Amino acid sequence: MANISLQGITKRFGGNTALKDLDLEIADGEFFVLLGQTGAGKTTTLRAIAGLEKPDAGRVLIDGQDVTGWNAAARDVALVLQQYSLYPRLTVRGNLEFPLKAKIRRMDKAAIDKRVEDAARVLQITPLLERKVERLSGGEMQRVSIGRAIVREPRVFLMDEPLSALDAKLREALRVELKRLHSELGATFLFVTHDQVEAMSMGDKIGVLNKGHLVQTGTPMEIYERPRNTFVARSVGTPAMNLLAGKLNKGNAEIGDGAITLPVKDRKGAAGQEVIFGIRPENLLLETGAPVEARVFDIEDHGVNKILALDIGRNRLHTVVPGKLKVELDEVVRFGWRPEKVLLFDRQTGENLALAG
Amino acid sequence: MAKIELRNIQKFFGPVQVIKDLNLTIEDGEFVVMLGQSGCGKTTTLRSIAGLESVTSGQIFIDGEEVQDRTASNRDIAFVFQSFSLYPHMTVYENIAFPLRAVGMSKADRDKAVREVAGILKITNLLSRRPSALSGGDMQRVAIGRALVRHPKALLMDEPIGALDAKLREQMRAEIKRLHISRGSTSVYVTHDQIEAMSLADRIVIMHDGILQQIGTPEQVYLQPSNLFVAQFVGSPVMNVAPVTIKSTKDNVTVSVPGATEGFRIPASMLNGAKTSENVSLGIRSEGVELQHRKGKDDISAVTTNIEPLGSHDIVDVKIGDTSLRARTQSGFVKGEGEKVFVRIDPAQAHFFDNNTGLALGSGN
Repeated sequence: MANISLQGITKRFGGNTALKDLDLEIADGEFFVLLGQTGAGKTTTLRAIAGLEKPDAGRVLIDGQDVTGWNAAARDVALVLQQYSLYPRLTVRGNLEFPLKAKIRRMDKAAIDKRVEDAARVLQITPLLERKVERLSGGEMQRVSIGRAIVREPRVFLMDEPLSALDAKLREALRVELKRLHSELGATFLFVTHDQVEAMSMGDKIGVLNKGHLVQTGTPMEIYERPRNTFVARSVGTPAMNLLAGKLNKGNAEIGDGAITLPVKDRKGAAGQEVIFGIRPENLLLETGAPVEARVFDIEDHGVNKILALDIGRNRLHTVVPGKLKVELDEVVRFGWRPEKVLLFDRQTGENLALAG
Repeated sequence: MAKIELRNIQKFFGPVQVIKDLNLTIEDGEFVVMLGQSGCGKTTTLRSIAGLESVTSGQIFIDGEEVQDRTASNRDIAFVFQSFSLYPHMTVYENIAFPLRAVGMSKADRDKAVREVAGILKITNLLSRRPSALSGGDMQRVAIGRALVRHPKALLMDEPIGALDAKLREQMRAEIKRLHISRGSTSVYVTHDQIEAMSLADRIVIMHDGILQQIGTPEQVYLQPSNLFVAQFVGSPVMNVAPVTIKSTKDNVTVSVPGATEGFRIPASMLNGAKTSENVSLGIRSEGVELQHRKGKDDISAVTTNIEPLGSHDIVDVKIGDTSLRARTQSGFVKGEGEKVFVRIDPAQAHFFDNNTGLALGSGN
């Protein structure tokens, strides 16, 4: 078990800087999720920890030891990738045993069998042990590849989008399984993904990466409720937070030349200041008699609820309503919002005014 | 505009049967979405209607005329693919006008038809551009324009917005729906995306392994799934399903999941005919599983095992006996794992399925 510390990591690929002076602390036993789009640097971060990339500057510490100069094999970390590279000719057992059979480990057969069977039990693949992996489903294969990491009993598990290639139903099931696995093993997990649902639902902590910078780290609810800037605000939650340019006027938000005037419980920001108002879709409320009129542009039906896209002048907002609500395209509706849930961001920098300075 | 009927359609690719005895009637002016995973037969069905695939046996009627032996060009149906397939050397105007040139329409009539459809799709200002100068959304608008300009009897679409990004997908989905409302054209639309199907369709046709599973409005397939496949295919998170033991007591019926010491109380009238002796499973969506901190009359106790905080709400897993159920709660309702909570299920949202056939009880099957 181990904590991980990245100190001032910079990594360039030719003229392209993938990571810029990155600092990151992952506590012992934590499930840490790095969330970012393609090219944000999340895989490079993971590979730097694994020892598969050598940073141009900075240090990697595992358990307080500087491992920057160590090769991947010496670091005692395990990597699980999106594309499970199993040996197709071997059985599940053969694949799980493989990393333990290396001569350098000098493990006897009984010890190997015990580790394999323990891993199989944890992953609920015991009935599959004697089966050839080419006859497994995608979810079963991904479990075997996680199993191959588990048997080594590494200090750290590094996972690079391990669920992305699976269908939605299987992803849902494996999210729960991975969390259970984490609490059973008590190991440090670093999980990399572009999927905000995975980040929110699995992480003890989330780190949001943008263009090689770590923008914010926090618990899922901190990231969701108190995003540091508009980038973080947009990167979690479906549908995304509504962001509207406007200005503050006597405790009201004025948006789109007065098309929307709604109260805000203002904590920061001067009167007349040009800001961006942020409000999550679930905090917009459709009600007859509410202050603002809007036209329904789109209805996205999720069964349990519907996501409406509302047009107010040139602004388009999203809100969530119960699935039973009857609503038609182009219907004119009225809405308000929860004033205490409105966030204010700086128009120029995008910083959350409540957290800045 | 036209009614489309498929009768006893069978389709083999070599030894593999991809459509199994399909019967389907699409009413004039209806928007039908065919939903299923890849390989379920939905695209083959669509291509058979268009005449791009011949059926092994069965009949296809368009407006009462039997067309299964006619070529695609003689069925008067338009098709929009995911890949836009525009002519790169022609302008948008020429692309849209192309199908009209083939039928020998006069230049003035052609011009009128192109401008009308361009107006509906809001691409009038793009008419002189070439496809290479268009965004993905505009290319798909042009492809739809080219399909509609002939006033075909029906418009068939195969994942037309699957390749677009999320924002554009929403925009195009709303436009396709509006276009359908304003033109009233019979539309058949294929997708693997259940949200797209729920959002667009008058009726959804769900297919699996070449077999039609259910036809119904979005509300019907969500609230009254006809079998276990539909129940667990539509909706997120996946519907909870557990085999149950049903016991009747004096004035009530209890439904127990495996390993549970207590059962959920359900009024006998809401069992949909499930009997105590039968081999039955309970199906309940996460929003039908209600958690409480204090025990109510009909509540049974459980322990939380996992919490997915999704921001706007949480999905909480609770363990009852050997069974795990997922519940949808307000954000932060349950503080942590290992917490004791009390569970009831909303009888109105309970479904019962026959374990042998997978069919929903009481749905007329």
